[in-house]
This record gives sequence, structure tokens and C-alpha cells, in this order.
Amino acid sequence: MSTQTHQTTQSASLAPFVSTGSGLSFSGLLKSETIKLWSLRSTYWTFSLVVVAALGLAVAMSFALSPETAGFDPATGAAMAVDNAQMYVIVSTTGLGLGQMIVAVLGVLSISGEYSTGMIKSTLTAVPDRLAALWAKVIVVFGFTFLVGLFSVLGSFLVATPILGSQDVTASLFDVDVIMPLLGNVLFLALIAVFSVGIGTIVRSSAGGIATVLGIILLLPTVVSLFSLLVEWVADMMPFMLTVAGSEMIAPTMVESWQALLIVLAWVAVSLGMAALLLKRRDA
Amino acid sequence: MIQAQSLTKHYGSKTAVDAIDFTVQPGKVTGFLGPNGAGKSTTMRMIVGLDRPSAGSVIVNGKPYHEHKAPLREVGVLLDAKAVHTGRSAFNHLRAMAATHNIPTSRVHEVINLTGLESVARKRVGGFSLGMGQRLGIAAALLGDPATLILDEPVNGLDPEGVQWVRKLTKQLAAEGRTVLLSSHLMSEMALTADHIIVLGRGRVIADASVADIIASAAQNTVRVRTPHSAALAALLAQDDVTITNVEQDVLEISGLTVTEIGDRAVAAQISLHELSAVNASLEDAYMKLTQNEVEYRTGDASSHTEVEVAR
Repeated sequence: MSTQTHQTTQSASLAPFVSTGSGLSFSGLLKSETIKLWSLRSTYWTFSLVVVAALGLAVAMSFALSPETAGFDPATGAAMAVDNAQMYVIVSTTGLGLGQMIVAVLGVLSISGEYSTGMIKSTLTAVPDRLAALWAKVIVVFGFTFLVGLFSVLGSFLVATPILGSQDVTASLFDVDVIMPLLGNVLFLALIAVFSVGIGTIVRSSAGGIATVLGIILLLPTVVSLFSLLVEWVADMMPFMLTVAGSEMIAPTMVESWQALLIVLAWVAVSLGMAALLLKRRDA
Repeated sequence: MIQAQSLTKHYGSKTAVDAIDFTVQPGKVTGFLGPNGAGKSTTMRMIVGLDRPSAGSVIVNGKPYHEHKAPLREVGVLLDAKAVHTGRSAFNHLRAMAATHNIPTSRVHEVINLTGLESVARKRVGGFSLGMGQRLGIAAALLGDPATLILDEPVNGLDPEGVQWVRKLTKQLAAEGRTVLLSSHLMSEMALTADHIIVLGRGRVIADASVADIIASAAQNTVRVRTPHSAALAALLAQDDVTITNVEQDVLEISGLTVTEIGDRAVAAQISLHELSAVNASLEDAYMKLTQNEVEYRTGDASSHTEVEVAR
């Protein structure tokens, strides 16, 4: 009885609680996405795998290849000679080809993992501005993939130097013909990762997302080149394939570097654009 | 305060929420009741902007949820205990949520202590029991010290100590002037916790009143009488607005008359009574009566298990 009297007097004089304190900020979203990325074990092993693949292949290829035969003539498929700078670029970046597939998986999982576990509900209630949440994730995934890619190519260059040096093949890291292709490969790696974030957002499933990005990276160029044997004009589509454009960015054979970069950016823009549109429209 | 106006949600041709209006007031615990599929969870999801209303609107603390500068400080929400990445630890989950609003890590430790998660905070959420998951969900809801709390089935999976803790916590939060909206299927618990009840049935509001009013309006109080002369007493009391049920040999349950009326008339007719007691209707009785025509997924006869209740 006494409790009831107490409650009545209390509710009569009760002012509504007003919340105070810090609110949403984009720097907060970046911090949140960074915590999310680095609080999952899969991030450590995927990024470690990128580095290991890069350094491992750099060592193996430095021993196995010589500048006389390291090149590859796209027209004939025959081996061809390369200069020293190209030699260093080849051994330092071949591992990133595997890395592309690994970061594609990482990119998809960074968002599809939120859908499969239900985390997306927590994310979107904390950040009702869904596009801000997406851009924060894209920036964080891009940034860390770029850093890991940079670490991989620089590490590869360093481990290749003594091995190739013993064959009197030398080059300076700061030679434009070395550093620019290395950075180009790193940029493409990071763009693949955010392209995959977009696909993961569109598909909302880990299996579907991974299948889609690997299909676009691996399968699509093969299918197109097969069809080009039957229908001639299909061959003209080759530079528009994401991975083909990625290598054209660095070593142009069919289109200019800047055109290849635009093609890559178009893939990324379409993926993220559709992701943004769907994320905003759909119920979470 | 939560205010819904003609709030509607269609999923394809199915109407989950059908133009409902309601207001959830600050300073009290409001229970959100209804059978499975009545639209409670959908309504809660629309309040925090996870689902977009097909028509109508809902505002929290004066604005649509997405317009708040600090949503976690306005509304703390537990929609689903599984809204956490299973590969992340409880501590890191809360830290990532807190970071969006620049809430300090000290507050993360506070809610971990408050919800009794200290011993498991560094463990991955994938290994949590249902009860631990609920505690983590409540911790996340409290993170921003919000003015409004929306808790969907918070006691689901909690041990009796945990159930009591949620009851005390929600009452205390309401007493601080916060708005608390709570759904549960445990009527006895709801009767102990809530001050006000909103009942949904098939996407519509079928009751919106204080707990006492809900019970008074929907369920009749009955009187239990034990007498060896039950047939005679039944004949004596029989009239239009009185219902008499012979619940067992010598025991009648009578509605429509008070204890005093029955006792006086029995004495006048010289019928001896061995028991005469008022049976107060419970919230559960009132709820069952209110929703008897609104249940979407009804269990079949106990004898024939043809229809099984489907959990949404």
C-alpha cells in the first residue's frame, strides 16, 4: 500500500528524462568500423594470408625467373624479356593476384557477416543514416587493405632485392618504373576490396557475395575470352573486365592506363552505387 | 515518448501493422502484448527505422528516429538478442557501438558490470547462452543512457534472478522519467512490471489502458462457492446477468454477483456455505479474452497436435 502511494506522488511530479552527451560523428563511425574490422579473427588471417602470399611468391619467383623470360607477350602467349625494373615489379606483385581474391572475400564478409549474424540491426539502429555507415565501412576497408597491400609489395621488393641482386639484376624502389606499378597494384587491391563490400551489401549473403565477386574476378574474363574465339567483337570487351582493366592500369597493352583506371573505378562505382541505393531502400 | 499515427506496414499482400495509433508515455512501463504475428516486433522495428512504414508515421522523443543527432542516447533498443556478430567479444561489440557516438569506454565497463557480464565480456558472443545474449542486448540498449527504452522479450531465456532484475531495472528506469516499452508473453511477469498495457491483435490496437482497467474491462471477477447444496444455490441465484459454472462436485463459480450478495441470499435461504471467496481475474485472463479472436497461430486441441504455434 505504501509503495503505491509513493509511486503516485512520484509520477505526479515526474519530469520526462532528457538525454545528454555526445552524438554521432563521422570520425566516430570510422572508429567504430575500425574496431569492428580488427575485433574479428578472420581479419587477421585474411590480411596475414595476403602478406604471406606476396612475400612467398616474391621469394619463389626471384629464384625461378630471369629477366630474359619473365615477361609474357599477350598476343602470342610466349615468354619475353623484361628490363630490370619490370622484373622487380613482376616478382613483387604476382602474389597480390592471390591477394585480390583474399581481400575480395574479406570485403564481402565485412558486410555479409553483419547480415548473417544480425549485427546489421545493431549497426543501423546506432547509425540510422545508412549511407554514412556504408561509407565509413568502405573507407576503413579501403584504408587497411591499402596499407596491407603496401606492406606486401614493399616487403616483397625488399626480400627480392638480395636474390635478384645476386644475379646482377638491380633496380631502385624510387624508380618511377618501379614505384608507380607497385602503387598501382596496391590501389587495385584496395579497390577490389571495396568493390566487394558493395557486392556483399547488394547480395547480403556470404556465400552469394563471395561467389559473385570471384565470378566477376575469375570466371568472367575466361568466359569472355572463350566467346571471343567464336564471336570476334567480344574480344573488344576484354579490357572492360575488372581484372583485365586492373592489369591494364599498370601495364597497358589494349587501352591507356588512365582508361583502364576509369574502367576499374566504374566497376567500383556501380557496385557501391547499387549497394547504397538498396541499403537505403530496403528494410534491414 | 513514442507516438505512432496511422502506422502501417504491408509485406506483400499481408498487412502486418494496420494503421495503428498509440502513445507510449514517459515515466511508466508500458507493456506491449499480443499473439505471435500481431505486429509487435514490426512496430518496434519501425520505431527505430529498421523497417520503413508503408503509411503513417512514428516519432520518438519528438522526432522521427533517423533525425536524432544521437540516436543511441534517445532510444536504447533490444530487438533480438542475436543482433551481434558471433565472432566478436561482448566487450568489442559494445566498444564498436559506443564509438559511433563517442561514448567513452568507461560507460562500456559500466553497462557490462550493470548486466553482470564481467566474467564473459572478453569471450566471443557465439558461445553465449540465450540468457547471456539477452544481458548483452540489454547492455547495448543501456549504452547511451537513453531517454526511451524498447525491449522486445527481454526476459526470454533469463533465469529467475535475471527476470526479477529486469523487472526492477525497467521500473527504476521508468521512475527516472524515461519511456519504457516492453513486450513479453509472460503475463504474470507483465502484470508485475507494467503500469500501462497496449494489446495488438492482427496488426490493430485492441486495448490501450492501465493494467487495472484492462483487467476490469475484459475479465469478470468471479466468486467461488463451496456448498453441499450446490443445485439449490444455483437455482436460487439464477438470473439473466449471472453466470454459474459447476466447476466440480459442490463447487460453483459465479460471476455477476458480489460475495456479499451471495452470502446474504444463502443465509436468507438457509443454505450452508463451506467456502465463499472472491477470485480476482488476472491479466492473463483479460489478455486471453481480449485476444481470443485475434490469434493468428492457434494451437490445436491438446489431443490432436495438428496445428502448432508458430514462433515469428
